[in-house]
Amino acid sequence: MGIFSGCVPAPTPQISLGGIVGGVRANSTVHAVVDKEYGAKPINYTNSIRAYFSTKIARGNLSTYKYGKPKRAYKRKGLAYGGDIAWKGWLVETSIATPTRTGRLLTPKPYMVLFSGEQIVEHILGYSHKLLIKVDK
Amino acid sequence: MANFNTHFMVASGASAVLSGTLLSMEVVSPEQAVYAFALGTLGGLLPDVDSAHSTSIKVGFNVLSLLMTIMLIFVKSSTYSLIEMFIVAGLVFAGIRYALLDIFRKISKHRGMFHSIPVAFIWGILVAILMQYFFGLNSLVSWVYGFMVTTGYFVHLILDETYSVDLRNKRIKKSFGTALKFGKIKTTKDKIQTAIIYVSIPLLMSIAPDTSLIENALFSHDAWLTFKDVLIPYDGKWFLH
Repeated sequence: MGIFSGCVPAPTPQISLGGIVGGVRANSTVHAVVDKEYGAKPINYTNSIRAYFSTKIARGNLSTYKYGKPKRAYKRKGLAYGGDIAWKGWLVETSIATPTRTGRLLTPKPYMVLFSGEQIVEHILGYSHKLLIKVDK
Repeated sequence: MANFNTHFMVASGASAVLSGTLLSMEVVSPEQAVYAFALGTLGGLLPDVDSAHSTSIKVGFNVLSLLMTIMLIFVKSSTYSLIEMFIVAGLVFAGIRYALLDIFRKISKHRGMFHSIPVAFIWGILVAILMQYFFGLNSLVSWVYGFMVTTGYFVHLILDETYSVDLRNKRIKKSFGTALKFGKIKTTKDKIQTAIIYVSIPLLMSIAPDTSLIENALFSHDAWLTFKDVLIPYDGKWFLH
Protein backbone atom coordinates (compact mmCIF):
# COMPACT_ATOMS: atom_id res chain seq x y z
CA MET A 1 0.00 0.00 0.00
CA GLY A 2 1.46 3.35 -1.08
CA ILE A 3 1.78 6.45 1.00
CA PHE A 4 -1.07 8.12 -0.93
CA SER A 5 -3.54 5.34 -0.29
CA GLY A 6 -5.16 7.50 2.39
CA CYS A 7 -6.58 9.68 -0.43
CA VAL A 8 -8.54 6.80 -1.90
CA PRO A 9 -12.09 6.53 -0.50
CA ALA A 10 -12.29 3.53 1.81
CA PRO A 11 -14.46 0.74 0.42
CA THR A 12 -17.43 -0.59 2.37
CA PRO A 13 -16.15 -3.27 4.78
CA GLN A 14 -16.71 -6.66 3.18
CA ILE A 15 -15.39 -9.97 4.40
CA SER A 16 -15.41 -12.79 1.95
CA LEU A 17 -15.68 -16.36 3.13
CA GLY A 18 -14.23 -17.99 0.08
CA GLY A 19 -13.52 -21.36 1.65
CA ILE A 20 -15.64 -24.06 3.15
CA VAL A 21 -17.23 -23.06 6.44
CA GLY A 22 -18.98 -25.70 8.55
CA GLY A 23 -19.25 -28.06 5.60
CA VAL A 24 -21.18 -25.57 3.45
CA ARG A 25 -19.49 -23.77 0.60
CA ALA A 26 -19.88 -20.06 1.21
CA ASN A 27 -20.26 -18.32 -2.12
CA SER A 28 -21.88 -15.17 -0.86
CA THR A 29 -20.07 -12.14 0.48
CA VAL A 30 -20.78 -11.50 4.18
CA HIS A 31 -21.24 -7.89 5.18
CA ALA A 32 -19.65 -7.07 8.51
CA VAL A 33 -22.03 -5.63 11.10
CA VAL A 34 -20.33 -2.81 12.94
CA ASP A 35 -21.99 -1.53 16.09
CA LYS A 36 -20.87 1.91 17.28
CA GLU A 37 -20.58 0.84 20.91
CA TYR A 38 -19.87 -2.87 20.64
CA GLY A 39 -17.60 -2.94 17.58
CA ALA A 40 -17.63 -5.34 14.67
CA LYS A 41 -19.70 -8.49 15.01
CA PRO A 42 -17.42 -11.54 14.70
CA ILE A 43 -18.01 -13.55 11.54
CA ASN A 44 -15.44 -16.31 11.61
CA TYR A 45 -16.17 -17.09 15.25
CA THR A 46 -16.59 -20.86 14.99
CA ASN A 47 -13.04 -21.41 13.74
CA SER A 48 -11.64 -18.87 16.20
CA ILE A 49 -13.38 -20.56 19.15
CA ARG A 50 -12.22 -24.03 18.15
CA ALA A 51 -8.62 -22.86 17.68
CA TYR A 52 -8.72 -20.93 20.98
CA PHE A 53 -10.02 -23.82 23.09
CA SER A 54 -7.66 -26.37 21.54
CA THR A 55 -4.94 -24.93 23.78
CA LYS A 56 -7.10 -23.70 26.69
CA ILE A 57 -8.89 -26.85 27.83
CA ALA A 58 -7.72 -30.44 28.21
CA ARG A 59 -8.41 -32.44 25.03
CA GLY A 60 -9.96 -29.36 23.41
CA ASN A 61 -9.06 -30.62 19.94
CA LEU A 62 -11.00 -33.86 20.56
CA SER A 63 -14.11 -32.09 21.83
CA THR A 64 -17.50 -31.50 20.23
CA TYR A 65 -18.54 -27.86 19.85
CA LYS A 66 -21.93 -26.19 19.49
CA TYR A 67 -22.17 -22.46 18.89
CA GLY A 68 -24.84 -19.86 19.53
CA LYS A 69 -25.23 -16.59 17.62
CA PRO A 70 -23.09 -13.57 18.63
CA LYS A 71 -24.81 -11.28 21.14
CA ARG A 72 -23.86 -7.82 22.33
CA ALA A 73 -22.73 -7.77 25.94
CA TYR A 74 -20.54 -5.99 28.44
CA LYS A 75 -18.67 -7.03 31.55
CA ARG A 76 -17.69 -5.15 34.67
CA LYS A 77 -14.48 -5.63 36.62
CA GLY A 78 -14.80 -7.26 40.03
CA LEU A 79 -15.54 -4.81 42.85
CA ALA A 80 -12.04 -5.49 44.19
CA TYR A 81 -10.69 -3.94 40.99
CA GLY A 82 -12.99 -0.92 40.91
CA GLY A 83 -16.12 -2.28 39.20
CA ASP A 84 -15.69 -0.26 35.97
CA ILE A 85 -16.65 -1.65 32.58
CA ALA A 86 -13.83 -4.00 31.62
CA TRP A 87 -15.08 -5.18 28.22
CA LYS A 88 -17.79 -4.30 25.74
CA GLY A 89 -18.24 -6.38 22.61
CA TRP A 90 -19.78 -9.54 21.25
CA LEU A 91 -20.34 -12.76 23.14
CA VAL A 92 -20.83 -16.22 21.70
CA GLU A 93 -22.38 -18.93 23.87
CA THR A 94 -20.61 -22.18 23.16
CA SER A 95 -21.19 -25.64 24.52
CA ILE A 96 -18.23 -28.02 24.57
CA ALA A 97 -18.39 -31.75 25.22
CA THR A 98 -14.92 -32.89 26.23
CA PRO A 99 -13.76 -36.48 26.54
CA THR A 100 -12.21 -37.55 29.85
CA ARG A 101 -8.74 -39.11 29.96
CA THR A 102 -10.43 -42.51 29.67
CA GLY A 103 -12.22 -41.38 26.50
CA ARG A 104 -15.72 -41.06 27.99
CA LEU A 105 -17.55 -38.01 26.63
CA LEU A 106 -18.67 -35.67 29.43
CA THR A 107 -21.90 -33.68 29.59
CA PRO A 108 -21.30 -30.52 27.50
CA LYS A 109 -20.00 -27.54 29.48
CA PRO A 110 -21.37 -24.08 28.75
CA TYR A 111 -18.93 -21.27 27.96
CA MET A 112 -19.31 -17.61 27.07
CA VAL A 113 -16.61 -16.50 24.66
CA LEU A 114 -15.98 -12.76 24.64
CA PHE A 115 -14.90 -11.08 21.39
CA SER A 116 -13.52 -7.71 20.47
CA GLY A 117 -14.02 -7.75 16.72
CA GLU A 118 -12.63 -11.08 15.50
CA GLN A 119 -10.30 -11.35 18.50
CA ILE A 120 -11.18 -13.54 21.49
CA VAL A 121 -10.59 -11.58 24.69
CA GLU A 122 -11.46 -14.22 27.27
CA HIS A 123 -13.83 -17.07 28.03
CA ILE A 124 -16.09 -17.56 31.04
CA LEU A 125 -17.37 -20.93 32.17
CA GLY A 126 -21.19 -20.92 32.40
CA TYR A 127 -23.94 -19.01 30.61
CA SER A 128 -24.30 -16.43 33.37
CA HIS A 129 -22.08 -14.25 35.51
CA LYS A 130 -23.13 -11.56 37.95
CA LEU A 131 -20.74 -9.03 36.40
CA LEU A 132 -21.72 -9.74 32.79
CA ILE A 133 -24.78 -8.21 31.14
CA LYS A 134 -26.12 -9.55 27.86
CA VAL A 135 -27.69 -6.71 25.85
CA ASP A 136 -29.24 -9.03 23.25
CA LYS A 137 -31.33 -11.79 24.80
CA MET B 1 -12.70 -29.57 72.58
CA ALA B 2 -9.89 -29.89 70.05
CA ASN B 3 -7.15 -27.24 70.18
CA PHE B 4 -5.96 -24.90 67.40
CA ASN B 5 -3.17 -27.21 66.18
CA THR B 6 -5.51 -30.22 65.93
CA HIS B 7 -8.10 -28.17 64.02
CA PHE B 8 -5.40 -26.82 61.73
CA MET B 9 -3.88 -30.24 61.01
CA VAL B 10 -7.19 -32.05 60.43
CA ALA B 11 -8.68 -29.24 58.32
CA SER B 12 -5.55 -28.97 56.17
CA GLY B 13 -5.42 -32.77 55.75
CA ALA B 14 -9.08 -32.95 54.68
CA SER B 15 -8.63 -29.94 52.38
CA ALA B 16 -5.56 -31.49 50.76
CA VAL B 17 -7.47 -34.71 50.00
CA LEU B 18 -10.49 -32.82 48.68
CA SER B 19 -8.62 -30.26 46.56
CA GLY B 20 -6.43 -33.07 45.16
CA THR B 21 -9.56 -35.00 44.19
CA LEU B 22 -11.08 -31.92 42.51
CA LEU B 23 -7.83 -31.38 40.60
CA SER B 24 -7.75 -35.00 39.50
CA MET B 25 -11.39 -34.81 38.37
CA GLU B 26 -10.42 -31.72 36.32
CA VAL B 27 -12.94 -29.57 38.16
CA VAL B 28 -10.20 -27.05 39.06
CA SER B 29 -6.80 -26.10 37.65
CA PRO B 30 -3.61 -26.67 39.70
CA GLU B 31 -3.53 -22.99 40.75
CA GLN B 32 -7.20 -23.07 41.79
CA ALA B 33 -6.56 -26.29 43.75
CA VAL B 34 -3.97 -24.44 45.86
CA TYR B 35 -6.49 -21.68 46.68
CA ALA B 36 -9.15 -24.33 47.39
CA PHE B 37 -6.77 -26.03 49.83
CA ALA B 38 -6.01 -22.73 51.61
CA LEU B 39 -9.71 -21.81 51.86
CA GLY B 40 -10.64 -25.26 53.17
CA THR B 41 -7.99 -24.94 55.88
CA LEU B 42 -9.22 -21.43 56.72
CA GLY B 43 -12.79 -22.81 56.92
CA GLY B 44 -11.55 -25.30 59.49
CA LEU B 45 -10.43 -22.46 61.75
CA LEU B 46 -13.42 -20.16 61.24
CA PRO B 47 -15.84 -21.53 63.87
CA ASP B 48 -13.50 -20.53 66.70
CA VAL B 49 -13.40 -16.85 65.72
CA ASP B 50 -16.22 -16.37 68.25
CA SER B 51 -13.83 -17.39 71.04
CA ALA B 52 -12.47 -14.09 72.43
CA HIS B 53 -8.88 -15.21 73.05
CA SER B 54 -8.42 -18.07 70.59
CA THR B 55 -5.61 -18.19 68.02
CA SER B 56 -8.31 -18.48 65.34
CA ILE B 57 -9.72 -15.04 66.05
CA LYS B 58 -6.24 -13.47 65.82
CA VAL B 59 -5.40 -15.33 62.60
CA GLY B 60 -8.86 -14.61 61.15
CA PHE B 61 -8.71 -10.88 61.81
CA ASN B 62 -5.08 -10.64 60.66
CA VAL B 63 -6.03 -12.26 57.34
CA LEU B 64 -9.19 -10.14 56.98
CA SER B 65 -7.42 -6.84 57.73
CA LEU B 66 -4.55 -7.64 55.35
CA LEU B 67 -6.98 -8.74 52.63
CA MET B 68 -9.06 -5.56 52.92
CA THR B 69 -5.92 -3.40 52.93
CA ILE B 70 -4.57 -5.11 49.81
CA MET B 71 -7.95 -4.76 48.09
CA LEU B 72 -8.01 -1.06 48.89
CA ILE B 73 -4.55 -0.67 47.37
CA PHE B 74 -5.73 -2.46 44.19
CA VAL B 75 -8.77 -0.21 43.85
CA LYS B 76 -7.13 3.11 44.69
CA SER B 77 -3.62 2.66 43.29
CA SER B 78 -4.47 4.51 40.08
CA THR B 79 -6.06 7.54 41.78
CA TYR B 80 -4.42 7.96 45.21
CA SER B 81 -0.92 9.27 45.84
CA LEU B 82 1.44 7.07 47.84
CA ILE B 83 0.96 9.17 51.01
CA GLU B 84 -2.86 9.07 50.70
CA MET B 85 -2.76 5.33 50.11
CA PHE B 86 -0.41 4.77 53.07
CA ILE B 87 -2.70 6.74 55.43
CA VAL B 88 -5.96 5.10 54.28
CA ALA B 89 -4.41 1.60 54.22
CA GLY B 90 -3.12 2.12 57.77
CA LEU B 91 -6.55 3.28 58.95
CA VAL B 92 -8.33 0.32 57.32
CA PHE B 93 -5.83 -2.17 58.73
CA ALA B 94 -5.98 -0.75 62.28
CA GLY B 95 -9.76 -0.32 62.09
CA ILE B 96 -10.33 -4.00 61.29
CA ARG B 97 -7.46 -5.56 63.24
CA TYR B 98 -8.07 -3.64 66.47
CA ALA B 99 -11.38 -1.72 66.57
CA LEU B 100 -13.58 -4.28 64.79
CA LEU B 101 -11.91 -7.17 66.64
CA ASP B 102 -12.63 -5.45 69.95
CA ILE B 103 -16.33 -4.97 69.06
CA PHE B 104 -16.56 -8.55 67.80
CA ARG B 105 -15.07 -9.90 71.05
CA LYS B 106 -17.70 -8.01 73.05
CA ILE B 107 -20.75 -9.19 71.08
CA SER B 108 -19.81 -12.80 70.29
CA LYS B 109 -20.24 -15.77 72.56
CA HIS B 110 -18.17 -18.95 72.15
CA ARG B 111 -20.14 -22.00 71.07
CA GLY B 112 -23.06 -19.77 70.17
CA MET B 113 -24.55 -19.87 66.68
CA PHE B 114 -21.07 -19.78 65.08
CA HIS B 115 -20.87 -23.46 65.92
CA SER B 116 -23.88 -24.57 63.89
CA ILE B 117 -24.73 -26.28 60.61
CA PRO B 118 -26.62 -23.38 58.95
CA VAL B 119 -23.72 -20.98 59.64
CA ALA B 120 -21.37 -23.42 57.87
CA PHE B 121 -23.59 -23.05 54.78
CA ILE B 122 -23.80 -19.27 55.15
CA TRP B 123 -20.00 -18.99 55.07
CA GLY B 124 -19.87 -21.08 51.89
CA ILE B 125 -22.53 -18.94 50.19
CA LEU B 126 -20.81 -15.72 51.31
CA VAL B 127 -17.48 -16.88 49.92
CA ALA B 128 -19.10 -17.83 46.58
CA ILE B 129 -20.77 -14.39 46.37
CA LEU B 130 -17.53 -12.61 47.30
CA MET B 131 -15.52 -14.56 44.71
CA GLN B 132 -17.89 -13.66 41.88
CA TYR B 133 -18.75 -10.04 42.72
CA PHE B 134 -15.36 -8.98 44.07
CA PHE B 135 -12.89 -11.03 42.09
CA GLY B 136 -14.99 -11.80 38.99
CA LEU B 137 -14.41 -15.57 39.17
CA ASN B 138 -16.73 -17.86 37.23
CA SER B 139 -19.67 -19.60 38.97
CA LEU B 140 -17.97 -23.01 39.21
CA VAL B 141 -14.76 -21.77 40.84
CA SER B 142 -16.69 -19.39 43.12
CA TRP B 143 -18.82 -22.27 44.37
CA VAL B 144 -15.85 -24.65 44.67
CA TYR B 145 -14.19 -22.13 47.01
CA GLY B 146 -17.44 -21.76 48.96
CA PHE B 147 -17.80 -25.54 49.13
CA MET B 148 -14.24 -25.84 50.50
CA VAL B 149 -14.92 -23.30 53.26
CA THR B 150 -18.15 -25.07 54.23
CA THR B 151 -16.41 -28.47 54.22
CA GLY B 152 -13.55 -27.14 56.39
CA TYR B 153 -16.14 -25.65 58.72
CA PHE B 154 -17.95 -29.00 59.02
CA VAL B 155 -14.64 -30.76 59.73
CA HIS B 156 -14.16 -28.38 62.66
CA LEU B 157 -17.67 -28.96 64.03
CA ILE B 158 -17.37 -32.76 63.71
CA LEU B 159 -13.97 -32.69 65.41
CA ASP B 160 -15.38 -30.66 68.31
CA GLU B 161 -18.19 -33.19 68.74
CA THR B 162 -15.74 -36.09 68.54
CA TYR B 163 -13.65 -34.53 71.32
CA SER B 164 -16.71 -34.22 73.55
CA VAL B 165 -16.87 -38.00 73.83
CA ASP B 166 -14.39 -39.28 76.43
CA LEU B 167 -13.66 -42.85 75.33
CA ARG B 168 -11.29 -43.68 78.21
CA ASN B 169 -13.66 -42.73 81.02
CA LYS B 170 -16.66 -43.77 78.91
CA ARG B 171 -18.55 -40.55 79.46
CA ILE B 172 -19.98 -37.73 77.40
CA LYS B 173 -18.71 -34.24 78.23
CA LYS B 174 -21.00 -31.26 78.86
CA SER B 175 -19.95 -29.74 75.53
CA PHE B 176 -21.58 -32.60 73.56
CA GLY B 177 -24.13 -31.28 71.07
CA THR B 178 -22.98 -27.64 71.24
CA ALA B 179 -20.96 -27.73 68.01
CA LEU B 180 -22.89 -29.68 65.39
CA LYS B 181 -26.34 -28.21 65.92
CA PHE B 182 -29.12 -26.81 63.76
CA GLY B 183 -29.87 -23.88 66.05
CA LYS B 184 -30.57 -22.70 69.59
CA ILE B 185 -34.06 -22.08 70.94
CA LYS B 186 -33.45 -21.84 74.70
CA THR B 187 -33.92 -18.09 75.16
CA THR B 188 -35.70 -15.42 73.11
CA LYS B 189 -32.30 -14.10 71.96
CA ASP B 190 -31.36 -17.59 70.75
CA LYS B 191 -34.65 -17.89 68.86
CA ILE B 192 -34.15 -14.51 67.14
CA GLN B 193 -30.56 -15.38 66.20
CA THR B 194 -31.59 -18.76 64.81
CA ALA B 195 -34.47 -17.19 62.84
CA ILE B 196 -32.17 -14.52 61.35
CA ILE B 197 -29.70 -17.20 60.26
CA TYR B 198 -32.36 -19.34 58.58
CA VAL B 199 -33.96 -16.35 56.83
CA SER B 200 -30.60 -15.12 55.55
CA ILE B 201 -29.86 -18.39 53.69
CA PRO B 202 -32.53 -18.00 50.95
CA LEU B 203 -31.81 -14.25 50.78
CA LEU B 204 -28.13 -14.88 50.15
CA MET B 205 -28.93 -17.64 47.66
CA SER B 206 -31.02 -15.19 45.64
CA ILE B 207 -27.91 -13.11 44.87
CA ALA B 208 -25.44 -16.02 44.77
CA PRO B 209 -23.83 -17.27 41.52
CA ASP B 210 -25.53 -19.90 39.39
CA THR B 211 -25.31 -23.35 41.04
CA SER B 212 -25.89 -25.54 37.96
CA LEU B 213 -22.17 -25.87 37.18
CA ILE B 214 -21.16 -27.13 40.62
CA GLU B 215 -24.17 -29.44 40.75
CA ASN B 216 -23.01 -31.00 37.49
CA ALA B 217 -19.33 -31.02 38.48
CA LEU B 218 -19.73 -32.56 41.94
CA PHE B 219 -23.22 -33.92 42.53
CA SER B 220 -24.28 -35.52 39.25
CA HIS B 221 -24.10 -39.02 37.81
CA ASP B 222 -21.45 -37.70 35.41
CA ALA B 223 -19.36 -36.51 38.40
CA TRP B 224 -19.65 -39.93 40.02
CA LEU B 225 -18.44 -41.63 36.82
CA THR B 226 -15.53 -39.18 36.59
CA PHE B 227 -14.63 -39.91 40.22
CA LYS B 228 -14.64 -43.66 39.49
CA ASP B 229 -12.46 -43.02 36.40
CA VAL B 230 -9.77 -41.30 38.46
CA LEU B 231 -10.00 -43.46 41.61
CA ILE B 232 -7.94 -46.39 40.31
CA PRO B 233 -5.84 -46.74 37.12
CA TYR B 234 -8.36 -47.10 34.29
CA ASP B 235 -5.94 -49.26 32.25
CA GLY B 236 -4.98 -51.48 35.20
CA LYS B 237 -1.30 -50.42 35.07
CA TRP B 238 -0.39 -49.32 38.59
CA PHE B 239 2.48 -46.76 38.68
CA LEU B 240 3.56 -47.60 35.10
CA HIS B 241 2.07 -44.68 33.15
